[in-house]
Amino acid sequence: MDILLDTAILSRLQFALTAMFHILWPVLTVGLSLFLVLLEILWLKTRDPDYYRHARFWSKLLLLNFSVGVVSGIPLEFEFGTNWAPFSIAAGEFFGNILGFEGAMAFMLEAGFLGIMLFGWQRVPAGIHLFATTMVAFGASLSAFWIMAANGWMQTPAGVHFEDGIIVVDSYAAAIFNPAMPTSVLHMWLACLETSLFVIGGISAWYLMNERYSSFFLKSFRMAVLAAVIITPLQILIGDASGRVVAEQQPAKLAAIEGHWQTNPPGEGAAWALLAWPDTKNQRNLWAVEIPNVLSLITTHSLTGRVAGLRDFPGRDQPPVLLPFYAFRLMVLAGVSLAMLMMWSVWRWRRGALQVHRISDERALLRAWVVAIPVAYLTVEMGWLTREVGRQPWIIYGMMRTEAAASALPAGAVAATLLGYFLIYVLLLIVFMVFAARLIQRGPDLEIALPAAASNTGVGTARVAGSSASQRE
Amino acid sequence: MDALQLFLGNIWFFLIGLMLVLYVVLDGFDLGVGILSLFGGDEDHRSIMMASLGSVWDANETWLVVLGGALFGAFPLVYGIALHALYLPVMLMIFGLIFRGVAFEFHAQARYKLPWGVAFGAGSLIAATCQGVILGAVIGGVPVQNNRFTGGLWDWLQPFPLLVAVGVVFGYALLGATFLIIKVTGELQQRSYRRARISAWAMLGAAAAVTIWTPVLHEHIASKWFSLPGFFFILPLPLAALLAFLMLMRSLHKGHERAPFAYSLIVFLCSFAGLAFSLYPYLLPPAVTIADAASSPKTLVFMLTGIGMLLPVMLIYNSYQYFVFRGKVSRYENHEEDLPEQPV
Repeated sequence: MDILLDTAILSRLQFALTAMFHILWPVLTVGLSLFLVLLEILWLKTRDPDYYRHARFWSKLLLLNFSVGVVSGIPLEFEFGTNWAPFSIAAGEFFGNILGFEGAMAFMLEAGFLGIMLFGWQRVPAGIHLFATTMVAFGASLSAFWIMAANGWMQTPAGVHFEDGIIVVDSYAAAIFNPAMPTSVLHMWLACLETSLFVIGGISAWYLMNERYSSFFLKSFRMAVLAAVIITPLQILIGDASGRVVAEQQPAKLAAIEGHWQTNPPGEGAAWALLAWPDTKNQRNLWAVEIPNVLSLITTHSLTGRVAGLRDFPGRDQPPVLLPFYAFRLMVLAGVSLAMLMMWSVWRWRRGALQVHRISDERALLRAWVVAIPVAYLTVEMGWLTREVGRQPWIIYGMMRTEAAASALPAGAVAATLLGYFLIYVLLLIVFMVFAARLIQRGPDLEIALPAAASNTGVGTARVAGSSASQRE
Repeated sequence: MDALQLFLGNIWFFLIGLMLVLYVVLDGFDLGVGILSLFGGDEDHRSIMMASLGSVWDANETWLVVLGGALFGAFPLVYGIALHALYLPVMLMIFGLIFRGVAFEFHAQARYKLPWGVAFGAGSLIAATCQGVILGAVIGGVPVQNNRFTGGLWDWLQPFPLLVAVGVVFGYALLGATFLIIKVTGELQQRSYRRARISAWAMLGAAAAVTIWTPVLHEHIASKWFSLPGFFFILPLPLAALLAFLMLMRSLHKGHERAPFAYSLIVFLCSFAGLAFSLYPYLLPPAVTIADAASSPKTLVFMLTGIGMLLPVMLIYNSYQYFVFRGKVSRYENHEEDLPEQPV
């Protein structure tokens, strides 16, 4: 087992594990907190208690999700120093600075208002509560912005130069607004919204399927479908734009993602491999199912556009092929399936199926929404795998190699902490699932007291029994 | 190294010190409450203790994240070397913080609560111990050559860092106990008075031992303490700390509710000022100074606008959150759906 002796590989595995685990949680925090802002505005505008009850119900899930998210984010920040000390020392001036921005501007904002948002309903006036919820949502999205700006810079470093082994910043504007930044931020932010809307829609669908709180959850289900109408196609467009930035800025990564070995000769289009089995040793695919000219078309938007093949790059500059190739295909397949689920839902809606008395007949549709929850998370994970494995062998693309960036730690120490993270994260995931399932099983509290400060009576705590719009089980 | 860079480096030394104080004091009482929760006490007491932190622990812990980012950006060399050198204590601290952090919500959700009560206490104790070890190891010095850590994985496992850890654990327990005195009533409050006294004496013992041992063990610090005019700068600090300690014991004896926490804070601040004085201008003795590690003036100025200027804003909204949740805490503080009179 060579890898157990190689510190750099173990540190990569540890970072991959901790990052892939961590990303599960903020995607929901970002989207769900925005959904809570929307619900709270609707509640204050319409005074329909169902919106308030929705806000309270979904914030329980948010809190449970947030607890795991916040603790799993801390390892990532510190791993840069512990496991990637040479990277930290060389790149800290820009990269550490941006992480500091994220902490001070975004993460603290989220944390500073989270308590009020979750536990402050009876303690602050409605306007202040809405402000707190908005700050949590704003902080979460801003956090995604800074993290993606920093990660985008690792993909397409700009505005810096090497000087005595240190990366010196020439222009912060150029470094932050690096070529990959706009599409990276948008693609990730939309991924957060998309995952969240499928979580909201999927959970609502589960209640509808079981005919529990049907009119209550029909509201959130319809909102999820509406959001999907905008977000799922937009995400595919941004994904395409993101791919073209990769083609332009990281040609070796694009070639690896597409299993494309040989540059197409002038006048001929490059074929797109639907499926293939790469043979890195002989620099070719063992077999491939190909569609002529399509790679040129999707990369350059011309049938004969030139797409550089992996053989144009020396072996030591080539990323692994198998993982990005299949992760990318899974991501695209999942993303397109989610868009199709949206179209199916819209079609059923137009047929009048999204009504209280008819919705439970739509069993296949509702089941598909439940299945869409893990599919949405899978899409995010596959996207990250493509992005980060495709960046190899560089930690900062074209500037610093990953193997040169790892701390010289004893392999055994990294193996031990890797195992520790694995065991802890498996435990957290299982416990989260159990509690989340229990929370969903229990359902919303339709008799929850309306906030005294926000209610029209203004005196004491108003208790409203389940309104006619919300049938109890 | 030009003068501007050194000047900005000094500003960031101060700001990072300030963030460290904020983290140590704020998450210090969180971790202290966690440590105290391990000792005697039923599930009811533990629930109240956790509820007293429910709305603020996350923001308190976030100072560590802000601190980490600021150190990473302002002194990348220190970030890389120190975290590499202290790999195991840092990782263990993170594991502790993970268990401490999830315990709040998991304890509230669980039907069988004991494991998450223990995770809360043990996680806090582990995190506090590791923070003490890290502090002690940094004071003790980290071997560096060519901007790389050259020591071993277990260098921190020495009597001195462990003694510092004992001091930090009892210091946190003191902060936690005096915080609980403010937030709770009845039997738990009475217990907290007792525990504050025990923790205070234990902390004083450890602090005295650390203060005597530090110059014996570390020549660079001795030369600083026992030379003029340094001696006159450092001298008031232990005296002020001692005075605050006496006032603390008096207020505990008299049963004051808020004063004990305030005096504990003063003891902490004095220790901190002493630490900063002893280290300056070193960040990682004996090799890395502010001048060696500071980022370029451009970066330090950019960070001042993005992080430094935000410090007061962060302090304001954090204070507001404390203000909203002021007053005594009840067991069901943050989980009104679990109120016993309501059907579940």
